[in-house]
Amino acid sequence: MIPIRDPTRVAAFYAAFAEAPKSLDPAVAYNVSDHAIIGNIFDTLLEYHYLARPYTLIPGLAVAVPQAEPQAGGRVRYHFELRDDLLFQEDPCFARGHPNRSTRQLVAADVAFALARLGDPAVNSPVIEPFSHIVGLRQFGERLQRARRSDARFARLPPHEQYTRVGPIEGVRVVDTLGLDIILAEAYPQLLYWFAMPFSAPIPWEAVAHYDGRDGRPSLADHAVGSGPYRLTLYDKQARIVLERNEQWYGLRHPEWRAPGATYPAVGEARDRAAGLLDPRVVGRPLASIQRIDWRRDKEPIPLFNKFLQGYYDAAGVIRESFDKVIREERLSPEMTALGVRLDKSVIPAIYYIGFNMDDPLVGARGGERSRLLRQAMSLVVDAREYLRLFSNGRGISAQSPLPPGIYGYEASYRNPYRQVDVTRAAALLRQAGYPGGVDPGTGKPLRLTFDSSDTTAQGLLRYRFFVDAWRRLGLDVQIAATTYNQFQQKVREGAYQLFLWGWVADYPDPENFLFLLSSEMARSRSGGPNTANFADPNFDRLFLAMKARGNDAERLALIRQLRTVLERERPWIELFHPEDYTLFHGWLQQVKPTGMAYPTIKYRTIDVAQRAQQRRRWNRPVLWPVYVLLALTLAIAIPGVITFFREQQ
Amino acid sequence: MLTYVVRRLLHGCVVVLGVLLFLFLLFFTLTDPDDIARRALGEKALPAVIAQWKANHGYDRPLWPWRGGRDSMLVEHYRRMLTFDFGRSDTDDAPIVDRLRHGVGPSLALTVPMFVIGLLLSIVLALFVAFFRETYIDRMGVLLAVLAMSLSVLLYIIGAQYVIGKLLRWFPISGFDADPRVAWRFLALPVLVGVAASLGGDVRFYRTVFVEETGRDYVRTARAKGCGEGRIMWVHVLRNAMIPILTHVVLAVPFLFTGSLLLESFFGIPGLGSLTVDAINGNDFSTLRTMVYLGSLLFVGGQILTDISYALVDPRVRLS
Amino acid sequence: MQLWSASNLVVAGLLLAGLTLLLIGRRHRLWREVFVQLRRRRPLALLVVAGYVTVALLDSVRWVGGVDAGGDVVAQHEARSVLDRLFAGRRERSYSAPLADREFYGHAPLRHPGGHLLGTDILGRDVLLLTLKGARVALLIGGLTSLIAIPLALLFGVSAGYWGRRIDDGVFFVMSTLASMPTLLLLIALVMVLGRSTVAVCLALAVTSWVGFCRLARGETFKLREMDYVQAARALGVSDLRILLRHIVPNLMHLVVITFVLMFSGLVLSEAILSWLGLGIEGSWGQMIDQARDELSRDPAIWWNLAAAGVALFTLLLAVNFVGDAVRDILDPRTRREPT
Repeated sequence: MIPIRDPTRVAAFYAAFAEAPKSLDPAVAYNVSDHAIIGNIFDTLLEYHYLARPYTLIPGLAVAVPQAEPQAGGRVRYHFELRDDLLFQEDPCFARGHPNRSTRQLVAADVAFALARLGDPAVNSPVIEPFSHIVGLRQFGERLQRARRSDARFARLPPHEQYTRVGPIEGVRVVDTLGLDIILAEAYPQLLYWFAMPFSAPIPWEAVAHYDGRDGRPSLADHAVGSGPYRLTLYDKQARIVLERNEQWYGLRHPEWRAPGATYPAVGEARDRAAGLLDPRVVGRPLASIQRIDWRRDKEPIPLFNKFLQGYYDAAGVIRESFDKVIREERLSPEMTALGVRLDKSVIPAIYYIGFNMDDPLVGARGGERSRLLRQAMSLVVDAREYLRLFSNGRGISAQSPLPPGIYGYEASYRNPYRQVDVTRAAALLRQAGYPGGVDPGTGKPLRLTFDSSDTTAQGLLRYRFFVDAWRRLGLDVQIAATTYNQFQQKVREGAYQLFLWGWVADYPDPENFLFLLSSEMARSRSGGPNTANFADPNFDRLFLAMKARGNDAERLALIRQLRTVLERERPWIELFHPEDYTLFHGWLQQVKPTGMAYPTIKYRTIDVAQRAQQRRRWNRPVLWPVYVLLALTLAIAIPGVITFFREQQ
Repeated sequence: MLTYVVRRLLHGCVVVLGVLLFLFLLFFTLTDPDDIARRALGEKALPAVIAQWKANHGYDRPLWPWRGGRDSMLVEHYRRMLTFDFGRSDTDDAPIVDRLRHGVGPSLALTVPMFVIGLLLSIVLALFVAFFRETYIDRMGVLLAVLAMSLSVLLYIIGAQYVIGKLLRWFPISGFDADPRVAWRFLALPVLVGVAASLGGDVRFYRTVFVEETGRDYVRTARAKGCGEGRIMWVHVLRNAMIPILTHVVLAVPFLFTGSLLLESFFGIPGLGSLTVDAINGNDFSTLRTMVYLGSLLFVGGQILTDISYALVDPRVRLS
Repeated sequence: MQLWSASNLVVAGLLLAGLTLLLIGRRHRLWREVFVQLRRRRPLALLVVAGYVTVALLDSVRWVGGVDAGGDVVAQHEARSVLDRLFAGRRERSYSAPLADREFYGHAPLRHPGGHLLGTDILGRDVLLLTLKGARVALLIGGLTSLIAIPLALLFGVSAGYWGRRIDDGVFFVMSTLASMPTLLLLIALVMVLGRSTVAVCLALAVTSWVGFCRLARGETFKLREMDYVQAARALGVSDLRILLRHIVPNLMHLVVITFVLMFSGLVLSEAILSWLGLGIEGSWGQMIDQARDELSRDPAIWWNLAAAGVALFTLLLAVNFVGDAVRDILDPRTRREPT
């Protein structure tokens, strides 16, 4: 329930979620809304700094962020050292074999176990590909698969026993109780970012063995046991999810450690000071002052937003890009300000783009110069800034290249010559391509293209209509093909598409995570990868591989610039915008900074319970006069009837 | 009598088998499991992961028995549906049975009060209007009923949330709680909307029934005996109109279990209707087909019960 | 110059069907009586329906050329309806309130200050135009669906009722199967699988709505088959087809009309719900209402889209429901008002 009066006075944080989480299993969960929940439950070895930008890694469960140590044969080693005296959250699963035990110490073997799960084919982890840089991870999975096929008894053993029997992953070495070595087959600096995501978060083998979905026990998809600042106490994923503060968390048991993952940071961006994020009263304070997190499901935007206005939700987080709010001219409206509502925004490391299918004969690579000119012309008339103004209240910045701000290689001064709106120049290019005035000389009619959309909602179609209107100005007749998701997927698989609108949110803040979307290795038509544009350019591929293996240095920047130039000319994408995350929150919620990426921040926030209770009461006094009016009206109508009734009775 | 019951049951079984065949054609032959997998696993899933998922869900088998024999999807579909083994959701692998078990409560908490209040209110109003037939009250009543019928449910919901929830603040705009002491606050508004949205059509329907009854011989007889108009309405007409009313009720009861798609979604009630909408939006075909199957099963069951109870009352039905 | 597009042909077909029915109807005493009665009892509702039909027709007759749509080059090559031509070149950049002279956000002056009776939508399109264009979609939903469902139902219902036995068993099986599935879910499942073009949506609506009428036609044919004049005709050796066409189908026509009118509002309301689920037809009022859901949560709210579509939908259905009630009262002897 949403208590009308908050009787318990617990420092609870109330928020809403729109879609039921798919899985709580850290090895499997791979979307923003799932990570928003499990990120609070599972602590990771590394974390991101709350305030600093560009994104910086800080140690979490680990004592320090490890350095890459080159080994023989091109291999690279990372050494992680865990903090001593870390405990898992209390859970009945720890009573297996130890009747009175409700928790135990977290050790390096638990990290190794989590990595083994990623390599286990039965777990079906979506991130097996990046983690396969670890030596022997794939072979581990193959050994496991073989043993399971050949021995039915083995297949019935609990996972941790299976893992022990087939032998460890070669590149994951438990050095001692708290030390762990990770050995990579080749340089892959991005690996550390993966250790800041829940996939590799330590998970107790007891929980994996216990929560197997049998005999009425939930499966790991619906139950979570981690070592993070909050633990799951109620999980009704269709309706409500409650987390309570985990009193076993190292930050609460050992505030004297002043661990970076458990202490409010003292430094941040320049604007953080003005936003009150560096208030001296909070700097250096131990974290997790919020005692309970209470999420409720609200699928429809209107009720959700109204409940925020009534004070029943503390923040209206922007999950859906279409969630329009009370923002005018990129600022809060006066009504909102009067309610004490505050607004913060930050650029999400993401890119929205319109892609061309480069395998298509008309717009793709096979069309040669003619198609290139067509793509360039189409790119020249799409006004991303106007799009943002209309559909996102101006949240977001128009994109010039795939790389968003905050990512190495982003240059604010860079202007893509094909992303400046210029209808005259576009028309000239189109003439040069052989489509004067957009007319296809073959048919004598405007050139017809298809823009595929899997978003069939009325609101979604309006967005597509915006781009179509722009191209119509050139004389190109672009038809929106609104299909259901499945039909769209089928078209993509068959290569029967020309234009599509797509977005990509970074997994980790590195240019590789954006530019790989255009490498031919990832082409949808060849490998089913995320390069839906099917862009394949040998020059680009070569530059990309060189850029991928480098740390952030001047040479890497030069490579990125060269990659950018290829894209500029070839136009497989029309880069649209990098969205901005606007978070709207009430005055009683403090130290809120939108992060853009899906990592947990609730432990940093504080809440003024008394102020909230008072405001809620003030805002929600029912207006009762219409009840009396309605009653009077009903009586006025009914009485003559009743009188007539009795008169006829007599 | 026994042969009638057996015949009726057999017919019901045939219909259920037909529904299952229809569902199979719709959800297996016209859709590709690859798409369902990709939807479930996300855009970033690799082909090997998708193949594994399909194997886990049994979507990699041949469709028809003449290809795969007992291992074909058609046989499997019938076997599982008929043994109520609904399997797991396509989107998040949760057992569908658990979902159903969780969803029935909230759905009933919404639909039962809605149904009872709606039924009583519409009968009372219809009697009232029928009593004053051919007067301004009747004409006003019918006019209001038609007005109420012409408004889309969407507008009812949006309007009620805006006016009652936001402006007047009588009830919370949306939400739910399993604790009945609190739940009524959340349910009041959706129940109100649900009743209002169906009231127009129901009042008009029952009014027609009652007006029809007032034209019959027994009413004239009663009137001749000196019965008051009110007594005729409340006692004679209402009793004789019970059969059409009961038919209406029995056919509506099965759908109380399947909940309301719109009301549950807008008011955040975690029932079966809301579950269905999630299944639609998430392309969760296994949940969707279970819901359609259960809906028709309940409907067929309800119909058989009605028919048999008719036959018990009226021997003519049995013989036809 | 392409004068007849596919949509023009559909509209012409619908119009032709309607006119033929009217002409046939005028020849029969019963139907003449219906017209007279309707005009007397529900003049206003009839007028409203006629108004919607006119608007829909204005939006259906389209031809290429002779239009200057401002910056839209493609429009010069496309067939535009009379309605489009009336509003040609009246685009703004974005939202503006009804009769406003400035944009809603940003307060930039409009190209046509005070010229938009119902304001403009997010892409600057005139809401009055969109609302009027919705009339064509609504009538198309009702018309096309009925055009698929009623002949289908008539065919199956009459043959089941007339020949009975195997055919009846088959038809009855199909009917009970379809009827036992929850209507809305079946509708959604069909649209999800068939796709969401206008024809597919109408087809799905037809599949879910023909059963009721089929059952009615079947029962009525049962009764008619036993009538003396039908029995007599059979005894005289008149062919089945002739009996069906001369004696049975004409006697079902009143049911067709009642069904059509009563079904209509249900179809349009169903489409609105489909639109909410993202499965509706482009340009329908249902879609306008769906678009407006987010707009209402802006502050100050953008209400004119929702209001325009809601009122247009409500008025049409109100009028159709009134006409339907009246037609049923006139044609159906059971509900005829007893003389007092």
